Amino acid sequence: MTDEILRTENLVKNFGDLEVLKGISATIRRGEVVSVIGPSGGGKSTFLRCLNLLETPTSGRVYFEGQDITRQKAKICAYRRRIGMVFQNFNVFPNMTVLENITLAPVLEKKTPREQARQEAMALLERVGLAEKADEYPRKLSGGQKQRLSIVRALAMRPEMMLFDEPTSALDPEMVKEVLSVIGDLARNGMTIVIVTHEMAFAREVSDRVLFICDGVIKESGSPEAIFNCPHHPSTIRFLSMVL
Amino acid sequence: MDKILKLWMKYHAVFLSGLYGTLWISAVTILLGTALGVLIALMRMGRIKPVRILAEAYIELLRGTPILLQLYFFWIGLPKVFPALELTDTQCIVTALAVNASAYISEIIRAGINAVDQGQWEAARSIGLSDIHVMTRVIFPQAVKNILPALGNELISTIKGTSLASVFFVGELMTSYKSVQSATFLALQSLTIVGVIYFLLNFTLSRLLGLLERRLTVSD
Repeated sequence: MTDEILRTENLVKNFGDLEVLKGISATIRRGEVVSVIGPSGGGKSTFLRCLNLLETPTSGRVYFEGQDITRQKAKICAYRRRIGMVFQNFNVFPNMTVLENITLAPVLEKKTPREQARQEAMALLERVGLAEKADEYPRKLSGGQKQRLSIVRALAMRPEMMLFDEPTSALDPEMVKEVLSVIGDLARNGMTIVIVTHEMAFAREVSDRVLFICDGVIKESGSPEAIFNCPHHPSTIRFLSMVL
Repeated sequence: MDKILKLWMKYHAVFLSGLYGTLWISAVTILLGTALGVLIALMRMGRIKPVRILAEAYIELLRGTPILLQLYFFWIGLPKVFPALELTDTQCIVTALAVNASAYISEIIRAGINAVDQGQWEAARSIGLSDIHVMTRVIFPQAVKNILPALGNELISTIKGTSLASVFFVGELMTSYKSVQSATFLALQSLTIVGVIYFLLNFTLSRLLGLLERRLTVSD
C-alpha cells in the first residue's frame, strides 16, 4: 500500500496487570478520516495516544511513513511535530496569550521567524473565528473557543495528520457544533484524521472508515454505512443499540 | 524598658551588624539552596533510577538529622576534605545551611512541578516541543506560582535557622546577642532586642509574601 501514512502492528499496552490494548493492527491512509468508536474503557483513547507515543506501547510497533517510531533511537519529538493532537480537556497553555499558544512550537522547534509565525497564526485564527481573541489569555475563552484554539495550535506546525481524542466530550452542548464544524472543514480539505468520538452522527457524516474498539481489540471496521447500518459483531450491535 | 533603651543606644552598632550578617547569610543560603535544590529536584524526577535514589537519599538524610548536627559536621568535616581551600568558619556554616535548605527547597520545587496538570505535559509534547522546552516554556512558568509562596516560607525559616550559626560565633544577630550579653551581663534585655529585630524582619517579610501570593492568584 503506497499511500499509507501510519500503521500499527500488534499494539499491546498494559497498565500494571490491566491489559488495555491486546494487539491492535491498523493502517491509516493519507487523506483518510478514521473514526474510532466503542464503549468507555475499551482502549480507544489509549490506542490513539500510542500513535504519537504519549503512551509507550508495551509491545508492538508504530510506523509513520514507513519508519518505525517505536524503535529505541527514534527522535520522537520530530515525529510529533508532524502529527497534531487535540485533547478532550483542551490543554491550552494558560500562561500564554492565544497567539503565543500558537506560535510557541513553530518558533522554538521549526525556527519559523517570529513575524511569519504570527501572520500564519493570525490566518489560522481567522479561519476558526478567533482572530479578535489573539491577545487574550485562555481563561477568558469559552470551552468551545479553547478547543478551537487547541486545534489551531496543532495546525500551526503544519502536521501531516491530526489525532482527536474525544474533542467535544468536555464541551457544553451548545459548543459542540462549532468545534465539529472546524474538524469537518479539516476533513473536507483532505487532512488525514483519526478521531475518537462519541458523536455518532458526526462519525457517520465525515468518516471514510470506522473502527469499533472494545476490550482492547478492533472488533469490527468498515465504512460508516456498513458499521452503522448493518453491524455484524455482537458487541458492535450491543454498543450501537445503546448509543443510537 | 529603660535598660533596654540604654542598651540599644550603646550597642546598636553591634546589633545592626548582626542583622546585616543574618541578612546576607540568609540571602546566600536561599540562593545557593535554590540552585542546588533545582538540581536535586531534577535528579529526583529524572528517568535514571540510580540518580533518583541518590537524590532521595540526600533529601531524607538532610531532613532526618538535626540541622545543628549538620552544621558541626560541615564545620569539622569540610576543612578536612578540602584543606587547600582554607575555608573560614563562616564559609563552612553557610555551606551547611545551604545544603540543608536545598533538601527542603528541592521538595518544594518538585511539589510545585507535580501540581501542574498532567495535560499540560502531554499538550506540550504533542506539538513536538523538546524535553527542555516542555519544562522551561510550559511547565516551569506554571509551577513558579506554586513554588514562590512556599519558597517564601522557607526563606523565613532559613532566617530563623541562621541563628544556629551563633554556636560557631559566625557574625549574625544571635551572635551579637552573645557579644553584648557577655560584655554587659544583661541577658534578658539583649535577648529582647534581638527578638524584636527577628520578629520585625520576619513579620514584614511574611506580609510581603502574602501580597505576592495574592497577586499571583489574581492572574489565574
